[in-house]
Amino acid sequence: MAEEILRVENLHVSVEDTPILNGMDLTINRGEIHVIMGRNGAGKSTLASVIMGHPAYEITEGSIHYMGTNIDEMSVFERARAGMFLSFQYPAVIPGVQVGTFLKKSVQSVRDEPLKGREFRKELNGAMATLEMQKSVLSRYVNDGFSGGEKKRLEILQMLLLKPTLALLDETDSGLDIDALRIVAKGINSVAPEAGCLIITHYQRLLDHVQPHFVHVMIDGTIVESGGPELALKLEEQGYEWLETAAEA
Amino acid sequence: MKYADMAVPSRALHLWRYTPWARIHPSKVEDVPDASGIRFNIVEGGELVEGAPRIVNAEDIGRVFLSELGGSAWTYESTSNADVVHLQAVASGHVAVGHLHLSLKHDVTVMLHLSGESDWTGLHITGEIGANARAGFGLVNELASNGKFLHCEDWVVNRDASLELAGLSIGGFRCKSDVRTHFTASGGALTQAISVHGSGQRHVDHHIEVHHDVPHTDSSLNIHAACDDQSHSIATGLLTIAEHANHCDAGQVFKNLLLSEKARAEAIPELEVLADEVAAAHGAASAPVNPDQLHYLMSRGLDEESAVALLVEGFMQDGFSSLDNQTLVDEMRTRLTVHLECELKR
Repeated sequence: MAEEILRVENLHVSVEDTPILNGMDLTINRGEIHVIMGRNGAGKSTLASVIMGHPAYEITEGSIHYMGTNIDEMSVFERARAGMFLSFQYPAVIPGVQVGTFLKKSVQSVRDEPLKGREFRKELNGAMATLEMQKSVLSRYVNDGFSGGEKKRLEILQMLLLKPTLALLDETDSGLDIDALRIVAKGINSVAPEAGCLIITHYQRLLDHVQPHFVHVMIDGTIVESGGPELALKLEEQGYEWLETAAEA
Repeated sequence: MKYADMAVPSRALHLWRYTPWARIHPSKVEDVPDASGIRFNIVEGGELVEGAPRIVNAEDIGRVFLSELGGSAWTYESTSNADVVHLQAVASGHVAVGHLHLSLKHDVTVMLHLSGESDWTGLHITGEIGANARAGFGLVNELASNGKFLHCEDWVVNRDASLELAGLSIGGFRCKSDVRTHFTASGGALTQAISVHGSGQRHVDHHIEVHHDVPHTDSSLNIHAACDDQSHSIATGLLTIAEHANHCDAGQVFKNLLLSEKARAEAIPELEVLADEVAAAHGAASAPVNPDQLHYLMSRGLDEESAVALLVEGFMQDGFSSLDNQTLVDEMRTRLTVHLECELKR
């Protein structure tokens, strides 16, 4: 029987009294890759942020269960330590904090056991090799002066090191060239078999490299259509208008 | 001029607005107390020679006072390129005073670690950078947390010389620093980077003057102050570019990170530009912890306290980003990391 990782039920979310999500339902099991597509402003990034526990969002109705437990009251760092990971659409720039220091502190925080220097370095080197990253990145400040592609690779590097049980990827493919897209997809595919994955994207092209099990379409803060990979291809060809027309009808 | 003949400076003056002379003086303002000498030791590289050129024509009350207090006086003169010199200065007793003169005619880096339990510490550093030399000087103030500290520096940068100054202010209860640099000939460059950590009721006042008296000279100043609890950081800058000192490029940036509601920070850059063809800029910003940065770190498993600590460390480390001298940067980073780790354990 499939192991449930995430269950979102009738989720209503507001920001400063403005409703963003209006009754979301979504279940992700271990090993499943779910893709959410939709126009700008549909609520996709809000969904990822709320699942990760961003304090700016208020859940007005419904619930989020992770590994069978209601996590509404869990803070963001507790969620991270429980195995949840969000690859940010716009990762924060942190001047003065070196990438190497940041990665070590993150991994130390998330893992229960003490971090052994040599083993961590070996693991780090392996993950960086997978993502074809230069070691010089470790002495740079976190996302400071990084190109869009470098930021997204650093997000995926963190994901590989933190080994999440639930990976939320918010437009990780945006701004990537063809080679970078392939490399980032490799990172996602290496984590996916042992985790539940939720990928937010605007484009079919990532799905040439990452095979989703389910594709969902969000309109006005709720899922209006779900299907398999063929739904993404249909959206690429026909856009969202046919779904909006159906929703209005 | 003698100290006894000097009037207590008015608080209307830029230099004494936030830390009046009476608050930094070791006792009553009319007194010139007995002082013991700061002990200077060479930890690595170079040699110290006793004695230092006395300050003449000083009109600033702080410099005159330090001169009359006496204390120890030493000179370091560079002898070859690529020297790295580590000096240790220890202040003990009720009032401890020292004067260090640096004659840097080569590509050298001098690090000074100041520590000790003195109730009142006075330090005067004078230095001259020889033509074409590329020198670095770093001061780490690790004095005990309950003492007063008066600190003056006077630098002269000669033709085509460059000076990088780094300061890490983590010690002392009430600190007043007054750092002045003059360019004597064209081609000189100055890069100054100072990071301040305020905790408890610490009061740290930096006054930085850079005088572009000649054309084709460049300077930059970055001060980063992270203030917690009820601490108070003040940074006043005076940047002057003399008439006919064209083609100078000068800038001052003051950044403050406020970590509690009662922490305060003032940043007052001041420009006096009398030449036409120059680039001169200044900026100041004070802000609490950035919520997006905090959320990002917490989303990677750091609890709020650890995330804020890392942001503070990063903010202070970033204060040294403008320096090219890697020896200075590494030393400052190491001392800062050790200091913040000790603070966390308290």
